[in-house]
Amino acid sequence: MKIVVTVKLVPDPNAEKRIDPTTKRLVRTGVETVLNPYDEYALEAGLQLKERAGGDSRVTVFSMGSAALKETLRRALAMGADDALVLSDTALEGSDVWASAYAMAKALSTLEFDLLIVGGLTDDSSTGAVPGALAEHLGLPCITNARKIDVGDGKLEVERETDVGYQIVRGSLPVLITTALTFGEPRYASLKGIMGAKKKTIGTIGVSDLSLDLPVGTSGSKTELRSFAPPPARGKGRTVEAADGVAGATSIFEFLREKKFV
Amino acid sequence: MKHVIAYAEHRQGQTRKVTFELASEARRIADALGGTASGVVLGAGAAQLAEQLKAYPLDVVYVDESKDVDEFLLDPVVDSLAAVAKRLGPSLVLVPNTLSGRDIAGKLLVRLGAGIVADVVDVEVEGADVVCVSPKLGGAIVTRCALRPADYGVVTVRPNAFAAAPGGAGATIERLEQPAGSYAAAIESDVEEGAGELALEEAPVVVAGGRGLGGPEPFDTLLKPLARALGGAVGASRAAADAGWVPYNLQIGQTGKTVTPNLYVAVGISGAIQHKVGMRASGTIVAINKDGAAPIAEFSDLLVVGDAFRIVPELTKMIETAKGQVS
Ligand SMILES: Cc1cc2nc3c(=O)[nH]c(=O)nc-3n(C[C@H](O)[C@H](O)[C@H](O)COP(=O)(O)OP(=O)(O)OC[C@H]3O[C@@H](n4cnc5c(N)ncnc54)[C@H](O)[C@@H]3O)c2cc1C
Ligand SMILES: Nc1ncnc2c1ncn2[C@@H]1O[C@H](COP(=O)(O)O)[C@@H](O)[C@H]1O
Repeated sequence: MKIVVTVKLVPDPNAEKRIDPTTKRLVRTGVETVLNPYDEYALEAGLQLKERAGGDSRVTVFSMGSAALKETLRRALAMGADDALVLSDTALEGSDVWASAYAMAKALSTLEFDLLIVGGLTDDSSTGAVPGALAEHLGLPCITNARKIDVGDGKLEVERETDVGYQIVRGSLPVLITTALTFGEPRYASLKGIMGAKKKTIGTIGVSDLSLDLPVGTSGSKTELRSFAPPPARGKGRTVEAADGVAGATSIFEFLREKKFV
Repeated sequence: MKHVIAYAEHRQGQTRKVTFELASEARRIADALGGTASGVVLGAGAAQLAEQLKAYPLDVVYVDESKDVDEFLLDPVVDSLAAVAKRLGPSLVLVPNTLSGRDIAGKLLVRLGAGIVADVVDVEVEGADVVCVSPKLGGAIVTRCALRPADYGVVTVRPNAFAAAPGGAGATIERLEQPAGSYAAAIESDVEEGAGELALEEAPVVVAGGRGLGGPEPFDTLLKPLARALGGAVGASRAAADAGWVPYNLQIGQTGKTVTPNLYVAVGISGAIQHKVGMRASGTIVAINKDGAAPIAEFSDLLVVGDAFRIVPELTKMIETAKGQVS
C-alpha cells in the first residue's frame, strides 16, 4: 500500500505566541519549528497502516513551505516515514488557503498513493479547510476525523468523530482521510530511527515542476490580509484564598452576583 | 459578491443556536452589500427547521429533505450549497466553525473558486469589500482579512460570536430539487454521545473540569449540578478527556473545541497554554484551584484557592437558592 501523509512545519504550538508591538510581527526568536501536532497523528496513522499492510508498503511525507525548514522533516523520517517531498518556491509566498491547496494538489497529483492522510487542522493558520479543498482538486472521496481505519481488499471502514459522537463510514481507495487526535499517540523516534533518517531522501520541487494553470502566491490568493493586532488585553484578576468550602463558594457567589450571572 | 447564504446545520431538525446567529448576520451583511439573504436547510427534519427560520430576517429558505444528506458524508451538502450559490451568483456563504462546517467549507471553496476566512468573529462591510475579523495563532493575534469582491467567499463563523436577532416578514420557502447523487463515502451508523446536552460551543455558561477532579464521577455529581444551576454546559480539559472521564467532544482547547461563553468556570484545571487558547476569549473567567500559583491565575477574573470538592456543592446550593427566590 502506498501512503502519503501531509505535514506542515509550524512554530512550536507550546510556545506562547506574541506580536512585537513595534514591528507588528510574530516574535520568532526562541520559537522552534516543529511538525504540526495534528500531522504527527496523521503520520502515526500512516505508519500503523503501513505496518499492518506489510509487503512493500511505503509512507511518503509531503510538505509545502520554506526549504530552510526542511530538515525538520527528518523527525518524520525518524518516526518511520520512508521518504519526503518538499514543495518550496518563493513564488508560493503569501499564498492563502485557495492558492496553497491548489499548489499542494498539483504536487500531490505527481505522487502515486492509495491513501492520502492529512492532518485535521494547522496550529498556525487553523482553517481546517485544506483537506476538503485537496479532496476536491484531486477528485478523491474525503473522510474526516478518523479515529480508527480499517483497509482490506480495496475496501475501507472508518470510525470518525463528529461534533456530538461518532460515525462508521464505508468507502473505497484511493481516498483522502484526516485523522482525529484519538487515533493514538504519535510514536517517539527511536535512536535507530534517528540514525536511519539521515540516509533517507528529502526531495525538493518548485513551482516550475508543476503544470500550474492558475497563479499562486499573493497574486493567486483570494483573500488579502489587511491588518492584525494583539487581542484586547485581559488583566490578571483577583485571587482569593478560601478558608473553607462555604467561604470559597461565597466569594464566587458574590462575584457572580456583582457580574449579574445570578 | 452581493448575496449572503447561511447554511443551517442541524441534526434531524434539532436546531442549533448558531443557525439563528448565522441567519441574523446574513441579513446584516446582505443589507450592507445591497443583496439578498438566504438560508439552506438540508436532510431529515429540514422542513420543520425551515419553518422556525421564518422568524428570522431571511428572504428565501431553500429546503431539500433528500436522504442523501444523512446517508453520505459531506458531498450532498456541498452539492446543494454550491447549487444555491451558483444560482445566486457571487455570494458569501456562512457556515458554522464546527467539525463538519470546516469540512464543508474546504470542499465548497474549490467548487466556487472562493476565498475563505476561518473562525470569524466579526464581519465589516466597507463599500464592496467584505472584511472578516478572526483570531489566529490560538488567539495571540486578531487578523482582518478582505475577500475579493468579484469572487465567491466562504466564511466559517465562530458560534456565539453574533447575536441571534429575530425579525423580518418571514422568508419564502423554496424546494431544492437536487438529483439523487452517487457518493463515495457512505454513513453506516451515526451515534450520538451525551445526547440532549446543550452544545458546548453554544452554551452561555461553561463549567469545565480537569485532572483535579480525580475521576469521572465528579463530572456528574459536582459539575453537572453547577452547570444546570447556571444554565450552562459541562466541558473538560484534555487531561480529563485523555483519562477517559468524559468523551472527547467535551474537550476544550487547541486540539478540542474553542468556546466563548459569557461565563467560564474552570474547576481543577491548571490553565496550560493549550487549554487557554480554547477559552481565553470567554467573557468572564472564574477558576477554582488548590494551587494559587497555577497558570490559570494569570487570565482568570477571579481565582478562588481551595478544594473544589468542598466549594462546588456549596456554590451550587447558593445559586439554586438565589434562583429559587427570584422565580
Ligand atoms: C499538542 C498538544 C495539544 C494539547 N491540546 C489540549 C487541549 O486542547 N485542551 C487541553 O485542556 N489541554 C491540551 N493539552 C494538554 C495541556 O498541555 C495540559 O496537559 C492539560 O490542559 C492539563 O489538564 P488539567 O489542567 O486538567 O490538568 P493539570 O495540569 O494536572 O491540572 C490539574 C489542576 O487541578 C488542581 N487541583 C487538584 N486537585 C484539586 C482540588 N481538589 N480542587 C481544586 N483544584 C484541584 C491542581 O492544582 C492543578 O492545577 C495539549 C497538549 C499538547 C502537547
Ligand atoms: N503547507 C502545508 N504543507 C503540508 N501540509 C499542509 C500544509 N498546509 C496544510 N497542510 C495539511 O492540511 C491540514 C489542515 O490544514 P489547515 O486547513 O491549514 O488547517 C494540516 O494538518 C496539514 O496536514
